[in-house]
Amino acid sequence: MLLSLLVFLPVLFAVMVTLWPQKNTVRFLALGLASIEFLVSLVLLQKFDSSSAALQLVEKSIWIERFGISYFLGIDGISLMLVFLTTFLMPIIILASWNSIDQKIKGFHAALFLLQTAMLGSFLAMDAVLFYVFWELSLIPMYFIIGIWGGVRKIYATVKFFIYTMAGSLLMLLAIIFMMNLTPEVTGGTMSASLLDFYKLKIPFIAGDFFTTQTLLFFAFASAFAIKIPMFPLHTWLPDAHVEAPTPGSVVLAGVMLKMGTYGLLRWVLPLFPEAAEHYGWIFIAAGVIGVIYGALVAMVQPDIKKLVAYSSVSHMGYIIIGIFTMNAYGLNGALYQMLNHGISTGALFILIGMIYERTHSREISKYGGLASRLPIFTIAFIIVTMSSIAVPLTNGFVGEFLILLGTYQYAPAVAALIVSGVVLGAAYMLWMVKRVFFGPTGELVLNEHRQLLDLNLRELMVLAPLIVMIFWMGVFPGHFMKFSSASVDHLIKNKHNYSLLISGSTQEEVQEK
Amino acid sequence: MSALNTVGLADILLVSPMIVLFLFSLLPLTIKVLRGNKEQPPVATVIEALLGLGLTAVLLIVFSGYSEAAPPTAFGGQLIFDGLTMWVGLISVVVGAGATVMMHENPSTRGDQYSELVFLTMNSLLGALVLISAVNLITVFIGLELMSLSLYLMIAMSHEQKISKEAAIKYFVLGSFASAVFLYGVSFIYGSTGSVSTLSLVKNAEMLLKSGNHLFLFGFAFIVFGFCFKVSIAPFHAWTPDVYQGAATPITSFMATAIKAASFAAFLRIIASKGLLGSENLFLILQWFAVLTMTIGNVAALVQSNFKRTLAYSSIAHSGYVLIGVIAAGISETPSYAAAGVVFYLLTYSLMTMGAFAVLSLLEKNENDFVLTEDLAGFAKQKPTLAFCLTVFLLSLAGLPPALGFFGKLYLFSAAINEGLLWLVFWGVINSVLGAYYYLRPIVMMYMREGQRNTSAANNYATVFIVIASATLVLLLGVASGPIFSLIERALG
Repeated sequence: MLLSLLVFLPVLFAVMVTLWPQKNTVRFLALGLASIEFLVSLVLLQKFDSSSAALQLVEKSIWIERFGISYFLGIDGISLMLVFLTTFLMPIIILASWNSIDQKIKGFHAALFLLQTAMLGSFLAMDAVLFYVFWELSLIPMYFIIGIWGGVRKIYATVKFFIYTMAGSLLMLLAIIFMMNLTPEVTGGTMSASLLDFYKLKIPFIAGDFFTTQTLLFFAFASAFAIKIPMFPLHTWLPDAHVEAPTPGSVVLAGVMLKMGTYGLLRWVLPLFPEAAEHYGWIFIAAGVIGVIYGALVAMVQPDIKKLVAYSSVSHMGYIIIGIFTMNAYGLNGALYQMLNHGISTGALFILIGMIYERTHSREISKYGGLASRLPIFTIAFIIVTMSSIAVPLTNGFVGEFLILLGTYQYAPAVAALIVSGVVLGAAYMLWMVKRVFFGPTGELVLNEHRQLLDLNLRELMVLAPLIVMIFWMGVFPGHFMKFSSASVDHLIKNKHNYSLLISGSTQEEVQEK
Repeated sequence: MSALNTVGLADILLVSPMIVLFLFSLLPLTIKVLRGNKEQPPVATVIEALLGLGLTAVLLIVFSGYSEAAPPTAFGGQLIFDGLTMWVGLISVVVGAGATVMMHENPSTRGDQYSELVFLTMNSLLGALVLISAVNLITVFIGLELMSLSLYLMIAMSHEQKISKEAAIKYFVLGSFASAVFLYGVSFIYGSTGSVSTLSLVKNAEMLLKSGNHLFLFGFAFIVFGFCFKVSIAPFHAWTPDVYQGAATPITSFMATAIKAASFAAFLRIIASKGLLGSENLFLILQWFAVLTMTIGNVAALVQSNFKRTLAYSSIAHSGYVLIGVIAAGISETPSYAAAGVVFYLLTYSLMTMGAFAVLSLLEKNENDFVLTEDLAGFAKQKPTLAFCLTVFLLSLAGLPPALGFFGKLYLFSAAINEGLLWLVFWGVINSVLGAYYYLRPIVMMYMREGQRNTSAANNYATVFIVIASATLVLLLGVASGPIFSLIERALG
């Protein structure tokens, strides 16, 4: 029941927010509800057995019998932390959007809650069709968030976002239907959309022949996820979407939605198509390397802070893709950890940019300068988050990036050498931006006498405090977080050619009988 | 054929839905005559029509349906009342009822000649029922003509004076031509086989097609083309945009849903009868037709500025998707699976299309008004409920979960993949992306652009009810679609 509660509470919240009679207090209500959702997710910690790689807290009941589609939720080490990331960021996002969203407030919070349901559902669904339903559902609220509350070119950005993602996911739908039609050979005659039955399939693979079943299915799934991540060269929707999205939209997008793509790679692509993933993994590693370097170079020349961070996302997601396709322990653990890091540090960066934008209504780097003397606390916060983003030791970013580099070195030292240059470039563009915005000659926006620039208020401190705490906590004590995922990741690496998931508390047969 | 001479009670009971439909269609007209050619209050007409349609639906459920033994037939096997008849009949009757209600409030159809319109609508539905249940090519033709002739008149009766008349003439000329081609095909078939029974036709079709009997081949091709015209399959689709645009919106809705569903059912009955399993060429041609239809429909819809015309092209595209299912049923050893996919898709498509047209009907201010997609700007602010409902319909048409349209596509595509039609489904998927683009545009207008347009929605409560009811169904039925699909599949045997 816990997982269903977690997934569907936000739907109830969305309804409550919509029906709430007073406009002024909607924000308080939404904040309270999102915090409740976070508390509910904390119960997971108590119930989750981190020593087991099995699927836990399983809920399964038949949904569409004719096609073997079931309502099937479960959680393991791979999804646990992502669920936390989602529930942890949501109250922060609501608090951060306190002043920036001033129209259609109810609709905005309802969309956020629906989005939360869709994202949590995608992380927890263990049935292919259920997963697809949640996956596609996440598009609709995001489409409205960018399209209604976005910037000047919001319509272009949101339609591009929608069409890109949908094109990828329809290919995935085709692949899912195809695999459902393969399942009778392992279930004994009936169709099934259960991921556990998909894992049992032995999908034929012939190296070198592109038109074999496994290769085609691999590319159908992987391209859906690659668009979502987004992987170079499919990334072009992301900068547009980020720049036009309102701050909270950017935070959800960078913080959680991009992780749906990398999660998909871990949950679907690697276990289902191991041979194809090994054989064609180099394509993704190459694209990841190009993404890392290209994203960093393009970020360097951006005149707009938000666009700079958007391109830095392309670069950071490149590391995660590389980590996943190295398919060794360091790489996968690092990728999983980096998914959380990126969610927190990039989310924090977008929030900080939103805060300064509220004050000056500009994001142009060249108009800033010397901000440090006017907004000291803001500057300190920004620099801490920057350190995390460029992976300075003792911050969370370091742990993830270091592990990925180790994994990549094991995979191929040459690749590791290439992406190390990405690390240097990353430090370069971030620090250069910090220098231009916060130090140096005072810029025209900062100089403006008519506008009093105020430092962070209590609300904004409350928004940033948990993020900064997490940055150091995850940087100093990575073990506190990795212990939840290590069993599942080890299981994935050890059994990559015949991956299967057990359901905790019962044997496979018992569950099927149910 | 001796059974023809003895008409028993069983026959009468089976065709009772049709009898009821006809009797009730006469009611408003008779009253009008008795009142000295003065229109009775339209509300009374609506109630009479809905009573008749409701009774028809009930009788359909009671007397038709799947049975273990041979399915019930009437008049010596001229009409068959199996699960297909029941389900598609129900779909047609329900969306027909919706159209009747819309006509009561739409500016192009309300007022003066409303009782005549209701009479024609119900007779068109009667034709549709005959068409669905007929297993004899001559009876098929009678159903087709009754259905179409009523439609030609209905289109021409719009209060709008210019393009509706043009549309009626266009449809009449082209439709008659298609009917003639169909009848020509029937004559060829009779000439080559000596029979016009669909059952014996499909039983011998494979052998006859293989034997190189050109007369039969031509006849069969003509019949298929005749159906393709009716369900607007490219390259026989050219009439659709103009006629759909010219007809009054409730009538367009009726054509795009009830008429299309009935025609597809009759088409399905001939194709999905296991008789044509070996006719690879036929199915190859149909596959290309499906690809062409989807592509033309979606690509042309991309560049339309008139909202109704966009929906018309979208309806062409959806014919292409349905055709995928029809082909899958045709090449399948167990056609009931794919056929159930087709019927389920017709159900979903009819609901969401009717809903979209109902919103359009509410947007029209007078009979000469036409709604551009741009005119929807700011609609979400003015009428949040209606805008939300239209969003649901459009997202469902685009095939996004959790709306009903997604499940329709899922079942249809699954059946097609099961038959190995992977490349066809691939095209369907590519086309869905194109479709998403133009389905999003009205949503962009409604929610993301400012604008002001007066609507006539103020007191058209019945149409608003249709919109809300179908939006609720589209939104919620999807989750419960599994049992419905199983029910349909069982009914189709």
